[in-house]
Amino acid sequence: MHTAAIDPPGIQWLRLSPKYVSVRLVEWAIGNVITIGLFSLPLLFVELGWWKWPPLWLAVALPAAFLLLALWRLVLIPRQVRAIGYAERDDDLLVRRGIFFQRTMVVPYGRMQFVDVTVGPVERLLGLCTVKLHTASAGTNARLPGLPAAEGARLREQLSARGEARLAGL
Amino acid sequence: MVDGDWHRVHPASPFVRGWVALAAIVYFFGRDTFERTLQGRGTIGDNLNERTLWLLAGGGVFLLLALGSFVLSWYFTRYQLAEGYVRVNTGFLFKQQRQARLDRVQAIDIVQPLLARIFGLAELKFEVADAGHSAVRLSYLRLEQAKQLRATILGRAAGIADGSETVQVPEAPEQVVLYVPPGRLVGSLILSEQSFFIVLSAIASVLVSVLTESRAFILYLIPAILGLGTAYWRSFNTGYNFTAAISPDGIRLRYGLLDTRAQTVPPGRIQALKVTQPPLWRLLGWYRIHVNVAGYGEHHRSEGEHRTMLLPVGRKPEVMVMLSLVLPDPGTADPERVFTAGLTGLDSGAGFVTTPKRAWILSPLGWRRNGFLSTDTALLLRSGRLWRKLVMVPHQRTQSIALHQGPLARLFGVADLVLHTTPGPVAPRLIQAAAGEALGLFDQQAARAREARKLQNLAQDNSEQWLPQRRTAPVPAPTTTHPMQHASTQEEPDHG
Repeated sequence: MHTAAIDPPGIQWLRLSPKYVSVRLVEWAIGNVITIGLFSLPLLFVELGWWKWPPLWLAVALPAAFLLLALWRLVLIPRQVRAIGYAERDDDLLVRRGIFFQRTMVVPYGRMQFVDVTVGPVERLLGLCTVKLHTASAGTNARLPGLPAAEGARLREQLSARGEARLAGL
Repeated sequence: MVDGDWHRVHPASPFVRGWVALAAIVYFFGRDTFERTLQGRGTIGDNLNERTLWLLAGGGVFLLLALGSFVLSWYFTRYQLAEGYVRVNTGFLFKQQRQARLDRVQAIDIVQPLLARIFGLAELKFEVADAGHSAVRLSYLRLEQAKQLRATILGRAAGIADGSETVQVPEAPEQVVLYVPPGRLVGSLILSEQSFFIVLSAIASVLVSVLTESRAFILYLIPAILGLGTAYWRSFNTGYNFTAAISPDGIRLRYGLLDTRAQTVPPGRIQALKVTQPPLWRLLGWYRIHVNVAGYGEHHRSEGEHRTMLLPVGRKPEVMVMLSLVLPDPGTADPERVFTAGLTGLDSGAGFVTTPKRAWILSPLGWRRNGFLSTDTALLLRSGRLWRKLVMVPHQRTQSIALHQGPLARLFGVADLVLHTTPGPVAPRLIQAAAGEALGLFDQQAARAREARKLQNLAQDNSEQWLPQRRTAPVPAPTTTHPMQHASTQEEPDHG
C-alpha cells in the first residue's frame, strides 16, 4: 500500500544500513519465540491431560493467533526499516519513521543536551550502532538505530560540533 | 554575606528534620517508665529489675548515637556562594560536594513545614534544569537568612551584583498582583472534577445497595471517603492564601495554611503554560493555570502537583494578568481578543485555525475548538469543548517538534503536531489539524523557534542573566482590572 508521506517536501533523506533488518529479525525471533512458547503452554497441558479447561480448539487458537501476528510483523520489518530516515539541515536535524503511524520530528541543534552512541551485541557483529539525541525534554525520542559505525561516529561529531556552535540555554 | 565564606545551616535543623526519629527512640525505650509514672508506681519501679535498666541504658545509647550523628551531619554541612556558583558540602563518612551555576537557576523556593515555621526556620531549594530532585537544598536557615540568601542568589544570577562585591543585595521590591480568597478556594474544590466523581460514585453505591438490599456496601466507602478527605485537605492546605506578586527577579508565589511555601520563578523560566476549566467551573467563570518549569519536573508527585500551579482558581481578568506576567510581549496587537478566543472561543474567531470540517467525525464535540494560533512570540493551542484547555508555548522555549499521523488521520487528511517541552504537567499537542496546515506550522514553528532563540542569544550573550538587558523594564502596574492595558504598555520596552 502506498501512502503519501507527511514530511516536508524536497528533503533528501539518509537511510539506515540495510543490515539493520537483521538486527530487527533477531529481536523479532527472540521476542516471539518466548511469547509463543508461553502461550503454547495451555496446549501442552491440555494435551498432557493436566488441564480440563480450556477446550482444545481454544488452546490451539491462542498461539496460532500470536503466530499470525508475529508473521505479519515479520513482513513489515523491512518496510519499517526503510521508512526510518534522517536529514541534517543547516539548523536542525529531521528524523522520520513509520508508514502506518508516521512521525516526523525536528530537533534544533542548539537544543541538544548530549548525544548517545550505543552498540548492542548483534549490532556489533554487523558493525552497526545506535545514535540517540537528548534534549531537555523527555518527549524528544530521536533514536537512529542501525547506522554503520563510521556514519554513527561522523554523525555524533557533526551533531556535537553544530550543537556547540548554536548552543542555547533552556 | 561575605563572598567565599563557608556557612553552616542553623544548628537546630537536624532536630527539626529528625524529630520523628528522636520521638520514636524516646517512646520505644521510655514507654515502660512513662507508664509507671502515669500509674503512680514511681519512676524506676518497685523492683529495680535488670530489664528496665537495660531498656533505659539501650535507649540512652541510641539517643546519644542519634544526637551524635545529627551534630556531625550539621557540622559537616556547609555552603558557600562564590564566583557565580553555589557550593554545598555534606556528609562525614561519604562526602559529597555539589556546585551549581547561579545563572542556571530555574526557580528558588523557600519552604516552611509546620514545625520549622514554629521555630522561625525555613528551607531553601535551588532548582536547575535537571527534572527530579532539587540541585541545592539548604535546610534549615533562619527565615530572614533564607530570604537574604535568595535575594543574593537572584541578584547574582540576574547580573546586578558581581561576585567581587560583598555588600548585601537588597530584596527586590515586589507588587502583589492577585490573591485567591479562601472562600473561592473552597468553592473551586467543591466544584472540582473529584467532587463530580464523588457524587457519581455516591449515586452508584446507593443504587447498588438498594438493588442488592445490603448495607455492607457502605463499609467499603469509608476508606474512600478518608482518602478523598485527605486529598481535599491537601488541596486546601496548599492553596490557602495563594498570592502572586511580580518583582524584577520574577514571579513570586506564596501559599499554604500549615506548611507555607514561597516560590520565585525568574523571568523566562516558564517553558509552557496551560489554562484549564473543568465543566462545573464554567458556571462561575473560573480557570486554573499550570506551568512547566525545568527544575520542578514531574517527580515528587504530591509536591510537584502544587509547585507547578500558577493559579489555583481565578476569573478571566486574573488569568489575563498571569498570562501577561508569563508572556510580557504577547506578540499580537489585540491580546485580549486572542486569549479570550483561546479560552472560550469556537471556530476561527480571532484567527484560530481549527480542525477541518471533513474530519469532524474524529472529534464530534471538539472539532470546532481544536485549533492553533501563532503570535509573534508564542504558539497557542486550544482544545476541549467540555474540559476547556488553552496551552501556550513561547517560541524560544520549544525543544523539538514532531508531526504524527496515523492511518485514520491520513484518511481524513489531518495530522497531530506535538511540541516537546521540559517535563511537567503541560504536554502541548495540536490535535487534528489539516495536514497541510500542520506541515506548514511544523516548518514555520521550527524557523520561528530558531529566530527567537537567535534573538535571545544575541541579547543575552549566551549567559542566562536576565536583568542587564531589562533594567529599564518597569514592574507592571498592579491594576488587576485592566490587565491587558499594562500588558500592552509593557511591550514597548521589550521591543526597544
